[in-house]
Amino acid sequence: MTAATLKFAIRNLRHGLAGFKIFLACIALGVTAIVGVDSLARALTDGLAAQGRTLLGADLVISRMHRQAESHELALIQSKGRITEIISLRGMARAHQKAALVDLKIVDQSYPLLDAPVFNPALPLQKIMEEKDGVYGVAADAALFVRLGAKVGDQIALGDTVVELRATLVNEPDRIGAGVTLGPRVIMNRAAFEKTGLFRPESLIRYAYRLLLDDPRDENLGAIDGSLNSTLTAAGFELRGRGNVSPQLTRNIERFSQYLGLIGLTALIIGGLGVANAVMAYLDRRRKTMAIFKAIGASGSYVFQIAFIEVMMLAGLGTLIGILLGVSLPYLVAVLASGILPFPIVPHLYPDRLLLGALYGLLTSASFALPILGRAHDLPVAILFRDDTSQDQIRVRQRYLAMTILVSLVLFAIILFAVRERQITLFVMIGISLAFLLLKGVGVLIMRWARSVPHPKRTEWRLALGNIYRPGSITPALTLALGLGVTLLVAISATQNNLVQLVSSGLPTKAPSFFFVDIPARDVAAFDQFMKEKQPDARVSHVAMLRGRITEVKSMRAETVVAGDNARWVLDGDRGITFSTTVPEGSRIVEGTWWPADYSGPPLVSLEADIAKGLGLTLGDMIKVNVLGRTIEAKITNLRRVDWQSLGINFVLVFSPNTFKGAPVSYLATLTNENGAQSAESETQLLVDAAEAFPAISAIRVREALETVREMIDQLALAIRGVAGITILASILVLAGAVGASQRRRIRDAVILKTLGATKARLLSAFLTEFAIISLVASFFGLISGLLAAWVLVTLTFKTAFTWPLGDPLITTIVAVLVAIGLGLIGTWRVLEEKPARHLRAS
Amino acid sequence: MINGVKAVDVQSLHIELGRDASHVHVLKGIDLVINQGEAVGLVGPSGSGKSTLLMAMAGLERAGSGHIKIADQDITTMSEDELAQFRGRQIGIVFQSFHLIETMTALENVAVPLELAGHRDPFQRAQKELEAVGLKDRLSHYPSELSGGEQQRVAIARALAPDPTLLLADEPTGNLDATNGDTIVELLFALKRERNMTMVLVTHDLRLAARCDRTIQLNSGRVITKNDSSS
Repeated sequence: MTAATLKFAIRNLRHGLAGFKIFLACIALGVTAIVGVDSLARALTDGLAAQGRTLLGADLVISRMHRQAESHELALIQSKGRITEIISLRGMARAHQKAALVDLKIVDQSYPLLDAPVFNPALPLQKIMEEKDGVYGVAADAALFVRLGAKVGDQIALGDTVVELRATLVNEPDRIGAGVTLGPRVIMNRAAFEKTGLFRPESLIRYAYRLLLDDPRDENLGAIDGSLNSTLTAAGFELRGRGNVSPQLTRNIERFSQYLGLIGLTALIIGGLGVANAVMAYLDRRRKTMAIFKAIGASGSYVFQIAFIEVMMLAGLGTLIGILLGVSLPYLVAVLASGILPFPIVPHLYPDRLLLGALYGLLTSASFALPILGRAHDLPVAILFRDDTSQDQIRVRQRYLAMTILVSLVLFAIILFAVRERQITLFVMIGISLAFLLLKGVGVLIMRWARSVPHPKRTEWRLALGNIYRPGSITPALTLALGLGVTLLVAISATQNNLVQLVSSGLPTKAPSFFFVDIPARDVAAFDQFMKEKQPDARVSHVAMLRGRITEVKSMRAETVVAGDNARWVLDGDRGITFSTTVPEGSRIVEGTWWPADYSGPPLVSLEADIAKGLGLTLGDMIKVNVLGRTIEAKITNLRRVDWQSLGINFVLVFSPNTFKGAPVSYLATLTNENGAQSAESETQLLVDAAEAFPAISAIRVREALETVREMIDQLALAIRGVAGITILASILVLAGAVGASQRRRIRDAVILKTLGATKARLLSAFLTEFAIISLVASFFGLISGLLAAWVLVTLTFKTAFTWPLGDPLITTIVAVLVAIGLGLIGTWRVLEEKPARHLRAS
Repeated sequence: MINGVKAVDVQSLHIELGRDASHVHVLKGIDLVINQGEAVGLVGPSGSGKSTLLMAMAGLERAGSGHIKIADQDITTMSEDELAQFRGRQIGIVFQSFHLIETMTALENVAVPLELAGHRDPFQRAQKELEAVGLKDRLSHYPSELSGGEQQRVAIARALAPDPTLLLADEPTGNLDATNGDTIVELLFALKRERNMTMVLVTHDLRLAARCDRTIQLNSGRVITKNDSSS
């Protein structure tokens, strides 16, 4: 590039952006999607981090399962600042012949250290919880009132005691920091809790000590975190600072935003088609100017450079617009959704992500524009004095094809470098490339077919077929744009259908109806008998369960282990663990051997195979787990594959039975109806009966849990469809651009045909037939490739059987065809309105 | 002034265009010589090949066989880029349809070949050329704001700005009315005299042809008559 070529390019652009509006919109949309999703995800995670103190309810939370802090441990924590103790566990609330799983939060006099919960009626918490007439009070989520059919003032049973519902919990600022809740929240004090009888050593109780530092500066927090960590993690405590409120939530936001970003990338690549069409139209408009340049002394490469600079300047403008819109998204969401999200959004500008968005926009534009602009090099000057259609057959020089390949490879490399989920991204990129090739091939086939059809008698059909295969037809562009858009929509819709079906009907037919947790060992036999009487056709399985934390892996502290994405969660916090003499149901050994039933040597452990791979563990490696205050060191003797989808009782860690000999354990049980799922009413009755008979046991209805999962899938799908909507918009713009690019020729043809006697109706019929044929074929292949893409995603990523849905995808395809024909109709109408004389005089 | 030095030397030129059913043998063995300083008119009926011959001299049409030497340089062996650069320095072309760049002013249009050739003060030079063709007051006008005659004058200024040795004009008055056409003709010949250029015109206008030093008549791709014998 020289100063002169830059100067010529600017001169050419002086006359406005006519003909480039769709080009700008296509690039801007794609960049908006990518930058917007990325910025929003960052703003969400930054919001979590920025509000960490409030969300956590402290600067630091030190917690462990099963055991309260010993006095020396408590003294150590208390020496660093103000503390409050929070006890949490699950329980069953009963009232009015109904029962509901609840998440209990037992607080002390010091709670809260920071922002207080909000209640209705607006009473102080200590007042709500105080004892009145021998009954303690509680505050609860509105959902509990609904489930039990209760109101403020009603009494409910919790364990062995009765408490009074004195207020609805309207807002709980530190809820996210407490982790995932399965049931409605109930807040009570320690005295009330002790009356419930749920306070047992083996119960799944978490003791959390929230610490508010006198000096909350980050350096001080870091120092205290470090000093407490070294002493307390060995005792089984987990420490979480305000900068890491919910690691799982943060990971989920990042992961989800990456998936949305992939859809945004698809929008950008579809937008690339719009770039290609716009550049072709630009070449068409500027060919005379380029020929003049060549006639008066410019070389072919000079002409190419001017054109390339012009196009890239416009790409830069489109990219800039996209970036501006994208970075505005979190600000917009912050304003519109401030009351909906459980934590605030903290929008920022992230220069590295903006640069990435800019690179995506510019490189995509370049890779689609280069092979077309390359034609400018060999544009024949003869068009100045002869009507030359050989422009359409110009072969692009190898240097421009090489540049295209290089730019595309750089774009691919940057995409793969920037994402975390590289494997899925690679699949998606390959999938898009394959879809491209397939649809390009389909475009060629349509044209060949149209050429081979014997001349139909009706003129309109002859015209339509001729328009399909003639040089410069819109068939390739329309096939690609429409086909890709339909592919994406069908893939999303079919994947969602499969996931919802899996959750709604696929799993429950073989999954348990209930999980019962915290069954005291002494009650197991009575519980079995109870279930046999109430559900004679059901199968009850139970295993001992404790909670423990992995503290060391191969002599490395768990916090320092670099784990794969799929295994990191195992090191975060405590896990359910069990012991067994035999291989658990639903597991199969893939490496190593199981211990003998009478094994009594040092502790051995069986690990889930994928987790082992993610943690870099193999047979013979040692891990340390803290359980009930004891650190157990065990050797890995076998690896298992677990069928998680059976929803049976399965654990990542299974120990040899002698490991926990003499330890207080509780049991986890499942109830599975061999004859298929029972009715909702029958399940509800069982829930109530079990809660009455065994107040200490908590019951989780799988049906409800799956319903929650399904709602989550639907909500996530909404977000996905939102971003996919941008992709569809890009497809529509590309379609509109393709139709617009062919306007000049259509107008010329229509003018001549009108002069020769063709009516508007016949011309309209010809154009619509052309669009209908191309749209139907392109959409059909889009439907096929979309279903194939969904099949790959569901079977390979989610590892489940694929159901071939037809309803939604078919509707999607039909709508796409109608939209394409509609756009064609609008474009055609303009053509038919043109007055012939104006065009005949000009030529 | 005609000095006997060959400005254009065409030897056994054949040009064929199109493919299959549209194949046409446009020029069938053209031999001619044009001397430095001559004004030559190419005449003949439509389809005789005169415009093609002109464009071949400009390097805008590729010869199928034969040679064309301009200022003693064989342009049939040059690459596209070499031709473009050669044209920019040695040949000025005036088209029937003017072919100005719509998005540039008159001044910018004339400056383009100078900028392409790397001249130091292209706009200053361009302004002089426009003044020479009587368009001092139209420097910042776009082609759409100029009359046909004015556009052709801009085209002439652009053609002459690099000070070429050869001026080729394809029906320069074809799109102009009689009055404007006469003005353009007068301008062309005046400038030709002033700069001692060689000029080759394609024209249907017999009066214009008569003003040339000689005419070469073509028919069906062959030279039928010429005033001078080829050397």
